[in-house]
Amino acid sequence: MSMIKIEHLRKEYPNVTPLKDVCVEINKGDVISVIGPSGTGKSTLLRCLNQLEEPTSGTVTIDGQVITDPKCNISLVRRKMGMVFQSFNLFSNLNIIENVMSAPVNLLKTPKEQAYKEGMELLKRVGLAEKAENYPDELSGGQKQRVAIARAIAMHPEIILFDEPTSALDPTMVGEVLSVIRSLAKEGMTMMIVTHEMKFARDVSNRVFYMDEGGIYEDGTPEQIFDNPTKEKTRIFIKRLKLLTLEITSENFDFIGSISQIEQFGRDNMIAPKMLRNLELAFEELLTQNILSESKRSGELLPASVTIEHSETDDTASMSITYGGPSYDPFVNEDDLSVTIVRKLAAEVSHSYDGKNNVTLKFSR
Amino acid sequence: MTINKTLNENKLTVGIGGRLDTVTAPELEKELNDSLEGITDLVLDISELDYISSAGLRVLLSAQKTMNKQGSMTVTGANEAIMEIFDVTGFVDLLNIQ
Ligand SMILES: Nc1ncnc2c1ncn2[C@@H]1O[C@H](COP(=O)(O)OP(=O)(O)OP(=O)(O)O)[C@@H](O)[C@H]1O
Ligand SMILES: [Mg+2]
Repeated sequence: MSMIKIEHLRKEYPNVTPLKDVCVEINKGDVISVIGPSGTGKSTLLRCLNQLEEPTSGTVTIDGQVITDPKCNISLVRRKMGMVFQSFNLFSNLNIIENVMSAPVNLLKTPKEQAYKEGMELLKRVGLAEKAENYPDELSGGQKQRVAIARAIAMHPEIILFDEPTSALDPTMVGEVLSVIRSLAKEGMTMMIVTHEMKFARDVSNRVFYMDEGGIYEDGTPEQIFDNPTKEKTRIFIKRLKLLTLEITSENFDFIGSISQIEQFGRDNMIAPKMLRNLELAFEELLTQNILSESKRSGELLPASVTIEHSETDDTASMSITYGGPSYDPFVNEDDLSVTIVRKLAAEVSHSYDGKNNVTLKFSR
Repeated sequence: MTINKTLNENKLTVGIGGRLDTVTAPELEKELNDSLEGITDLVLDISELDYISSAGLRVLLSAQKTMNKQGSMTVTGANEAIMEIFDVTGFVDLLNIQ
């Protein structure tokens, strides 16, 4: 059963609307990694969930209770949703155990003795029992973040929201914080984690939200999002794709200019010389030697659009060419020298027709 | 593309550099057409050539055909990238590559 239901959530700021219409359900035990480019509303989503920000419209329901309803008791909501920030936000005038105890004692009215006992248990769980009497300033960043996590758990929340919990940490301290989050995931804690740690996101979560274009642009398992993202922007983000598009509107297009754009693209993205040469050859052989001469011979195939993609993560490249006219498979004449060159150099070639011709070539090292 | 011709009696050496593609291949074709008369030994030095496409290959093949009738042609100095193209197209068997 879904524990949190987000319906038509919208957040407008004067100059920007980071969340346009977010609809999603979160189940008990879900560990959700939230990824996406900067400024796509990841923090805004978390802040709207726990009501640090008031959504412009839409509803958030948790355990059947509509927390976006103005009549809803806000401190009750905060109890259900723990939050861990990038910047720890510990009380610097309280020592560590007091930091962990303060909310249970003040908000839940837990007896001090019990809160202390539970607090020490939690500090043990995050490996910081011996720092109980220290003050936040005496702790490293990684230790402070582990205290912040213990403090969030102390409220027995339904879900913990993490906003880039390791971004402010020295790289040597990232591991200790991630391992605490990992163990919470094993214990079945429901969590939503905004993170740039892709390997961690893949390992720890059962769902990944890729945010873009004003909402959750793609929602899937880590395998779906990291290995087989289906939507364009997700692919560009995950595979760190760089794109070059060339529009060919006439048979007398600027060939030299196009080649120099491809070469510039190769230099900008440090594409290996041989792969770049293959891309140039594919462009020349398929476009000028094949598709354009067919266009001259048997009627309009133009305009054509050529998109070259290079993936920095797996060092592969692809070229896709779309053009109009009737179905024309440029690979049909197998004896043709141009076709031979392209077929031999590309790892994969394909042609399909859906009212437009689509040719795709893949290159690997 | 750069073309450098050296004539030594009936032996013509043509150095080709840069890119031999759709745009530049016709230039080389014209250059060869104009200078092969009476030549019995043609050497194409492609050590400075970086790129060749099918358009360039066709020019080499047509020069080879001409030279078959009147003498011989050799191609020298192909770099690894160019050799790969000769390989995948079967031009290694059509041209005399050294
Ligand atoms: N309080 C605010 N007032 C006005 N605009 C805001 C406010 N908070 C966020 N924004 C804007 O909303 C957009 C989304 O911001 P948000 O912080 O949610 O992005 P993010 O995905 O968390 O980015 P990052 O990865 O950089 O943390 C940005 O354009 C941001 O400038
Ligand atoms: Mg953020």
